[in-house]
Parts: sequence; C-alpha cells; structure tokens
Amino acid sequence: MKRVRRAWGTVWIALRQLRTDRMRTLLAVFGVTLAVLSVTLLAGVGAGVTETGSETFEESGRDLWVSGGPIEIAPGAVGGFQNPIPNAHPLAAEIDDHEDVRTATPLAFQVVYVSPDGEEFDTTMGSGVPGAGDSVSITAGEGFTGPNTHYADGNYTGEMTYQALVSPELAEEYGLEVGDTIHVGGTVQTARENEFEIVGISPTFANFLGTGTVTLRLSELQTLTGNAYDDRATIITIQTVEGADPAAVREELEARHPEYTFRTNQEQLVEVVERQAVVLAAGASLVALGVVAGGALSLNLLLSIVYVQREALSVLRAVGATRLGVVGVAVTQALVIAALGFVLGAAATPVLAAALDRVALAVTGFEGLVRVPAYAYAAGAAVAFGFALLGGVVGAVRVTRLASANDLLQ
Amino acid sequence: MISVDSIDTIDPESPEAAGFYCDRPEAFTVRMSEPSTPMPSIVCTDVTQRYDDEDGLFGSGGRTVTALDAVSLAVDSGEVVGIAGPSGSGKSTLLHVLAGLATPTEGRVEIRGTDLATLSRRHRTRFRRTNVGMVFQRFHLLPALTASENVALPLVQEGVPRGRRRDRAWELLDAVGLADRRDHRPGSLSGGEQQRVAIARALAADPAVVIADEPTGELDRETGERVLDRLTEISDDRAVVIASHDTHALERTDRVVRLLDGKRQ
Repeated sequence: MKRVRRAWGTVWIALRQLRTDRMRTLLAVFGVTLAVLSVTLLAGVGAGVTETGSETFEESGRDLWVSGGPIEIAPGAVGGFQNPIPNAHPLAAEIDDHEDVRTATPLAFQVVYVSPDGEEFDTTMGSGVPGAGDSVSITAGEGFTGPNTHYADGNYTGEMTYQALVSPELAEEYGLEVGDTIHVGGTVQTARENEFEIVGISPTFANFLGTGTVTLRLSELQTLTGNAYDDRATIITIQTVEGADPAAVREELEARHPEYTFRTNQEQLVEVVERQAVVLAAGASLVALGVVAGGALSLNLLLSIVYVQREALSVLRAVGATRLGVVGVAVTQALVIAALGFVLGAAATPVLAAALDRVALAVTGFEGLVRVPAYAYAAGAAVAFGFALLGGVVGAVRVTRLASANDLLQ
Repeated sequence: MISVDSIDTIDPESPEAAGFYCDRPEAFTVRMSEPSTPMPSIVCTDVTQRYDDEDGLFGSGGRTVTALDAVSLAVDSGEVVGIAGPSGSGKSTLLHVLAGLATPTEGRVEIRGTDLATLSRRHRTRFRRTNVGMVFQRFHLLPALTASENVALPLVQEGVPRGRRRDRAWELLDAVGLADRRDHRPGSLSGGEQQRVAIARALAADPAVVIADEPTGELDRETGERVLDRLTEISDDRAVVIASHDTHALERTDRVVRLLDGKRQ
C-alpha cells in the first residue's frame, strides 16, 4: 500500500509541476504534436502515392502490360516521343489470338497541338486507342461510334473518322461539351487542318497521366504524328478472360514474344515507381527526416522541461526521494506531455491530411495522394512516447547526477 | 536519546503530534524508545573528504582537493552546534557528509548509532528521509505546491496516507506560526515565512537530526531572529547543526565548531 501511495505521490507531484508552468507545458505539448504530425503526414503521403498508383492500375481493367523498352524523348520529332513498339496493330492481333486473352489493346501517347477554334494552339497529351471495346471509360457522350474506316489490315488509307474524346480537365479548360469540335494535330499546321468532333468525355488517361488529354483512334493519332509508317505504340494492354491466371498468361506470351516485356499490374506499378528513383529517395528522406526531426524535437523539449526543473528535482532528492522517484516524476511529466501531444496530433492528422490532399490534387491532378494508414499513427505514437520516455529518463538521470541535493547547499 | 523508526509510528491524534506547537516546545518529543546506553545523535570520526577538482575540456589535468581533513565531531540530542569558517573552509562539505548526501573518503559518520557507510544508496536515502531534516539558505520550496503540500513532501516520499500528511503539515505550520498561510504558494510568502515553511518541512518526518545551511542568509535581522528561535526550539529532542557566516546566528548555538582549510580548529 505504501508503494502505491508513493507511486501516486510521484504522479501527483508531476502533475502539479506541469500545471504550474502552463505555458512551458503547452509549448512542449505543441512541439510533440508537430512531431507526431510530421510523422503521420509524411507517412500518409508515402502510403497515399503507393495506394493511389496501385488502385489506378487495378481500376484500369487491364491485367497485363506489354512494353518494348523505354520511351525515348525525341524533341525534334513530331509528337515528342519515340514510342517503343513497332507494328503495334498486328502484334496486338497476335496476342489477341491467345485463348486466355479477351482483348489486347495497343495504346500510344504523343504530345499534340490542340485548339478549340483553330487559332490559338496549346500542347497537351494525345492518346491513341483502337476505338472499339472498353479501353476507355466514358462519363458523357457515346464514345467512338461506327467502324474504324481509316485503318484496315496495315493500311492507313481510309477516311479518318474525326472523332475525339477529351478529358474533363480539357473540357473545362476550353469550355467544351459533347458535340463541339476541337483541332488536333502533331504540328500546328496539321492541327489547323484537322477538326475533330467531341464524342465523349473520358477521364481514363488523365487519371493515369495527371494532365488533360485528348484521345483519338490510334491510327489517326499515328497519322497525325507521323508514326503510321511503322505503326508504333507506347504500350499494349491485355485483358484476360474470366478465371485466367494473368501470371500464367504472361509467361506464355513472354515465351512467344521474347523481344517484349510483359508485366502484371503490380509489376507495372513497381516498374513505374522504380523509374522515379529520385522522387522515391526524396520521399523516403522526407519520412526519415520527419521521424528524426520529430524525435529530436520531442527529445529536446522534454529534456528542457526536465532541465528547468532541476532545482525542484534536487529538492525532491533532498527531502528523501530516491533517484527512481525523481526519475518517476520526470518521466511521468514526459509521458503526460507525450500523451497530450499524440492525441492532438492524431486528431489533427485527418483534417490536415485532407487539406494536403486537396493541395496535391490541385498541383498533380491526382486524388488520394495523402492517405494516412494505421501504422502511421503507430509510428507517431512511437515517436511521441519513445522519445518522451528517453527524454524523461535521460534528463532526470542527468539532473540527479549533475544537480543533486548537494547543489542546494551553499 | 530518542529513536524514531518511522513516521508511521506517529499518531496524528496523539499528544506527541500535537506537541509540535511552538508554545509547547517540550511536546516536540515524539514516541521514544530509550536505548540501553545514551549515545550522541551524530558521531563523525576522522572524516576526510577529497575530490578531484576537474579541469579542462575532458576533466583531465585536475588536482585532488582535500575539503575535510580528519574532522571529528559529536552532537548530542538537544544540542545546537554551529559550524563556522570562511568560504572554502569545508562547512558545506561537512554538512553534505553529516546529511548522508556524500560518502567520506575516509572516516566514519554515524547517525543515531547507524554507520551511514554500511547502508546501500537506497537505504541511505530512506534513512535520510526519516532521520535527517534539511533547511537551506534559499528555502528551496517547490513553487508548484502550497505551503502545506511543501511541508508534507517528505511524507509523500514515505508513502504516508493523505489525511495524515495533511494533519501533520497543518500541525507543523501551526507550530511555526503559519496556520493562516498553509494554502499559499511560496511565491506569495515572505522570505521569513518561506524559511519557516522550510523548517516545518524539515521536521515533517520527525528526524533526529536537523541540518541548516545558512538558514538566515537570505533574511533580515529580525526575521532571522525568529527563524533561529524556531531552530533552537526544535532542538529539545534532536540534534541541530547550523552552518553560518552570521556571528549572531552562531551566538545562538550551544557551541561552535570552527573549520579552516578543512581542519577543525
């Protein structure tokens, strides 16, 4: 019973100390709150980027991705890119013949000039799709209608359909609706000459690329950007039939087409993310810095709290508190500050994460880039309580060594 | 000679506890057990204290300082002994040693027959808590606590129940004439009042020894007189050691031990 009373006495003294110096206590709590926020929000950004990327791939409805190597930038060429997959239409048709493949869709991306009136032109990302099937999702309009009259059996000699899909961002920017027209071309000249009817609004590629897009039939994009001669595409996406194992299909297709790389959604995400090594390193550094800075801040604050109380702690020693008792007073204060700081930090995290997500959406065009997982809160708690414990113990031990009861004597 | 095993032996309702009122100094006596042979409260035998006067960035290159050189001293219960000497003469070091705050390099310190060197650090802390009360020049009250709570602080460390702590603190504050100031924080008390609270705190665990370091050093003459009154009143059943530069304070003691360069004169 005496021990319980002693322990409670320790807590009581600690609480009275905190209550007396309210401003310092509040500042320390605020500091720990910032430390917790730095951990939760930075971890939230890391987790959000990964999860959003993963979801984007999952929602794409594709199971496999075929790549022919890196996309090379060609500043002097029309379209700005050298797409890596030649003879895309026949290759897609070959892949399509596999019994477990439902559709194989060649996609091309090129920079194109666009204008709503044929007078002032801007550059944006143009994407090319076969035109049939569900390779893109449509939120307004009917999408591409009628047969592809422009391309047949390797020939680009038919009449272009002049149908285009625009992303919601592009539609909003130019005030376009379904039924309006837009000029599109690989050069300003070809754009001025080619006016397309908007047959739908599609967010599909804007979601991937994080920028406004205009989507044409693949053959028409290739023609406008000078890629029709060797039928180049950026990538071929594959949807497998219901119940098929994408990994098994990938192995079989890889064996048939060893010059191309086949990836599952997850592998494609990893590949995309790995290419952003610098960005990843920066993100990881930020998280590490968040933890280190948050921890250092907490530790420094709690050491300071203990240090300014060295006289009070020395008095406790002088009136007969054991060293453990003095450490207990310091640690109790540190833990109370850590608990308050953590609760405030954890409570503020969802609000600030939502605000940060809006900023990220405005800057990058991607939604859900800040998502705070449960482990981020655990990391925040670990920083707050871990460093509080460390600060309390180290501070009190130093105080009992350096400023013992001896120092109260003159 | 008194012997108090623990504050738990004190019944707050008992006449002993009530005896802490200063108008009945004879009642400062608490439950006593008479040892077979009387012995001094403090016996300090050939105490030498040396320490390294560390110098330089890494504490190297220092020299060994002899702060106390074979000092012997005995203080009986009921006796007030003054320690005099110029700065650096070893007064504070002697107080450290007598209070059990420092272990002498050589020699022996006994308080109520217990050799402090035989106790572990933890037991020495506990022994100090119940046997040695301390009064400091700058009072060193906790500003976060009221006068009453400051007085009860040693009892908190001892695990005494709250009600008994409060009763004891109130009795002691009554005894030093501060009954009406018990709920005040140190910041709203005068220097003399703070020192009287500190004296009450030193007595909370009913120690056999009270050690006061320059207890009037921060006080004016008149207030200092009242503090010395209290210190001499409490000496009826305990040993009181007062280190001071103040010759007037030293005149109030039963005898004075003079130190110079760590040696007893």
